[in-house]
Amino acid sequence: MRIHTYEKLWLAGSFVLIVGFIVTVTYGSVGLGIDMIGEEADGVSPDEISSDERFSEPRVEQVGENEYEVYVVAMTFIFQPDPIEVPANSEVTFYVTSRDVIHGFEVPGTNINSMAIPGQVAELTVEFDEPGTYGVICNEYCGPQHHTMEGSLVVTPEWEFSQTELEVDAPESVAQGDEIDLTATVSNGLLETHESTVNVTIGSQTTEQSITVDGESSENVSVTVDSDELGPGEHDWTVSVDDQEESGTITVGNETDTTESVPASVGTETVSVTMNPADPTRASRGVGYP
Amino acid sequence: MSRSGVARTIDHDEFDPIGTLALVVLYFVVLTVMWLFTYFVEFLGHGPTVVGLLPLG
Ligand SMILES: [Cu+2]
Repeated sequence: MRIHTYEKLWLAGSFVLIVGFIVTVTYGSVGLGIDMIGEEADGVSPDEISSDERFSEPRVEQVGENEYEVYVVAMTFIFQPDPIEVPANSEVTFYVTSRDVIHGFEVPGTNINSMAIPGQVAELTVEFDEPGTYGVICNEYCGPQHHTMEGSLVVTPEWEFSQTELEVDAPESVAQGDEIDLTATVSNGLLETHESTVNVTIGSQTTEQSITVDGESSENVSVTVDSDELGPGEHDWTVSVDDQEESGTITVGNETDTTESVPASVGTETVSVTMNPADPTRASRGVGYP
Repeated sequence: MSRSGVARTIDHDEFDPIGTLALVVLYFVVLTVMWLFTYFVEFLGHGPTVVGLLPLG
């Protein structure tokens, strides 16, 4: 069979193109580690989500050094957790499911895009090198408010990332002359030890206490202020650590008739790290990371 | 040609459709450029990308 020279030329060209396509895709897969979205063998039916240990509490969880897992539940018309907060320079595996109908889980502008199918769990691993803020949108029509279904994904700088929870135990009122005991419980959801500073302000008195909380545990910080120093009336208090803040008001009663008003001064309160048993007369508040 | 009644017989390799060749080459060039753009600029350029559990790069 005689094949014309030009025909040989474009036959060869076609082969080069096909081989080129295969080489690029292989390079992406082997060289860059690009993968398809997988399906977890263990699905979860929508009515089991609330009792499923993975999804009952949608969250970001540290599973290793720079390794995190995010459990995402999509439902009409929100994503949980929202915002999803992960540190930069990390490898994050998302597990995505739906509580009701088919939703999408897309981070616009990136190649993160999955379906959220009720009963199934989509698994996708992504590396975040740089801090940044992304949106999350649903890209499968899921109902009348579909167009409002959005979330956010925040990649924070590594040194700013924490999973600190703060719970403050403070009395609502004390008698004049009594001591005010305020206890802040700081818990660290990360695997590593976390160092931070607790700022406590009661009335005009401010104190700072550095704490070191081991991974997956908590520490208490107690602040004691003499109510005589604050004087009668209502005093606002604020406790802050990392991005968490709690506040409230303490009423100092005026039973003992103190005519002398003592100006509040800083530095006279005692700060100690103690375990403080729960007291039913105290108001207790707490917030968690989303 | 048929009007004059003179037919010119050429050899198999004398047939030289240079215009067709140019079009095919141009088509291949366009395909290559589009593929490179789609894969390396639009796809890889819009990271983060879903990676395997053991990424090498
Ligand atoms: Cu939706």
